[in-house]
Amino acid sequence: MELAGAGGGGRLAKEWIDGDESAREMLRRVLREESRHRFLPLPPPLDRVPARAGNVVELVGPSPSGKTHALMEAAIGCILPEEWQGVRFGGLGRLAMFIDLDCRLDVSLLADLLRARIARPRLSCDDDDDSLRQHELFGLCMRRFLYVSCFDSLQFLATLKTLHYQVQKQTEAQGVGVHLLMIDSIGAFYWMDRASTTLHVGVNNRKGLSLQQVLETVVQEIKNLMQVHPVLVIATKATIMADRHAENEVNRNRKRKSFSDTSVSRNLTSNKEQLLHREYMPYVWQDHMLHPLSGQRTATPANAHLQVKSPDWLQYMWFDRKFYTCLDFAVSADRVAFHGDQP
Amino acid sequence: MAPLKSLEKEYPVIDSNFQSFCARHGIFTVQDFLLHDLYVLAAFAQQHPSSSSDHLKQGITQMLSIVDEQYHKPWVNGVQLLDDFQRNKHVLSTGIHEIDSLLQGGFREGQLNEIAGPSSSGKTQVCLQVAASVATKCIGSVVYVDTGNSFSSQRIRHFVSRISGPTFNQERDLTIQKVMSGILCHSVFDIFAMFDVLHQLQSSLRSQVDRADQNVRLLVVDSLSSLITPILGGGGSQGHALMTYTGFLLKKLANEHNLAVLVTNHMVGGDGGHLKPALGESWKSIPHVRLLLSRDLQSNICNISILKHSYLASGKAGRFTLDD
Repeated sequence: MELAGAGGGGRLAKEWIDGDESAREMLRRVLREESRHRFLPLPPPLDRVPARAGNVVELVGPSPSGKTHALMEAAIGCILPEEWQGVRFGGLGRLAMFIDLDCRLDVSLLADLLRARIARPRLSCDDDDDSLRQHELFGLCMRRFLYVSCFDSLQFLATLKTLHYQVQKQTEAQGVGVHLLMIDSIGAFYWMDRASTTLHVGVNNRKGLSLQQVLETVVQEIKNLMQVHPVLVIATKATIMADRHAENEVNRNRKRKSFSDTSVSRNLTSNKEQLLHREYMPYVWQDHMLHPLSGQRTATPANAHLQVKSPDWLQYMWFDRKFYTCLDFAVSADRVAFHGDQP
Repeated sequence: MAPLKSLEKEYPVIDSNFQSFCARHGIFTVQDFLLHDLYVLAAFAQQHPSSSSDHLKQGITQMLSIVDEQYHKPWVNGVQLLDDFQRNKHVLSTGIHEIDSLLQGGFREGQLNEIAGPSSSGKTQVCLQVAASVATKCIGSVVYVDTGNSFSSQRIRHFVSRISGPTFNQERDLTIQKVMSGILCHSVFDIFAMFDVLHQLQSSLRSQVDRADQNVRLLVVDSLSSLITPILGGGGSQGHALMTYTGFLLKKLANEHNLAVLVTNHMVGGDGGHLKPALGESWKSIPHVRLLLSRDLQSNICNISILKHSYLASGKAGRFTLDD
């Protein structure tokens, strides 16, 4: 606020006192922003993930460890309404987009999980009416789940290139915005891209199709999208390579300690599993995960490998958290143990 | 991918002016366009005088809509996805009751299934039995890719006569003849020959010209690992690339043409003498369903367990007896 001469000052002061918006407008604005900043409701142990718009979360684990299942739970939290016909469901009521690079999402499982969530609270005391309403809500939620599968990197790039347009189109058609973008799994085309080398003779600024180039473009496209539509991005990554060196080392350790009791051997297996995860994606992907996107102040990026043990659908998974955080979300980079026997 | 020049005929906005603008930024084909940051490109277009900059922007918009229409699969919502699943992705009975009950009905169309198991654990027998069962009960044809000369029409004949039960000779012969003509066996001995077969299958399914390939419900590759392991190893990534490509090709065939795909994977000695599947870490994340087969010593009793399934818990197991 600038201080001007007496006459103007009075007017400015009055404007200042009057305020910019009524409480009603402010509440509306805050609520709207609130919904953008709201955390995606996730079942434990995933509830510790800073799952809100503007963050990028990577789930790392071997196959099968329940990564896709975790994505489905996230999607359901996103597409379920907060409240529907007076019954509370606690979702965000927004659109979720699923880019399937593994091409093996089982939609019947998604439907079953969603039905189970809808069936929990009764919508009506009349049985017929109840099932009718459940059916209606089921359709509403399923329409908010948007899916595309890609069979190679170029399809993936074409999808990302037009994602911005797709987000706008769907938002207009359904009246609610997109909150969640899922990529399952980011390393799916790793080997194919690594082997592809195109050489363009004579043209200097022409880009060849290579792993590095594809990933750079993917990161750039996601950044571009998030500047306009801040969504939560959850990408899964399968551990496709066993680290032979680490494996041998652990085996040696195990031989040395073969006399020790079961608790030690359990720790050893968990150590082995942790060591076996080796980063294989190009740095540009990691850099993207670790650096702030747009105007957000960041706390120290937290990066923890967490091993999570069952609830029954999670045999085990690593949990790799690398994300941007606002200062108000003061997460520390310490290890969070999700289950009792982890040291 | 298509050069920009080839698009000019259909889309007049992409004229020589726009093409030379793109060429200055190293864009000659749609693929180059996909790899380029459009915000940067649009900023360059902005620098031109207003009439031509509008024209260039129109060109970029036109390119984007071409990419949206032709270069990726369309977005579908959950309702459409579930509808396609219920209408087109049926469950095919394997003909082995225990496997059917383990998998809640059998192999699902649209999915890639894998059976891993050591040598002589009954992988080929399961493949033959599934092929016979699908050709008899589901009235569909089967494409059988045989990589080790292990396909046996006698066994198929045996399974078919067991499925159709005690009937008169003439009737049984008729059924067997019909089933046999519905199973197309291709002998291949290297991965490129398999690609030939798969690409031919793909194009004939797309065009629906070849009557013999119509109504294909099941594709068997026995064994996939024996084609892929010779090209793996060494430091290079080419072998892995071909393996992943095979996986995606099979999944694409399964998904687009509603086939169930069944492949087998043999076992090799791993660390500490433990057996492990020949196609390992990088293959693991590709199939929908992975089953592990083993056979008791000196008997026909097989154990089958789930290594991975899209919704059933891993570790569930069953036992069944192979036919003599």
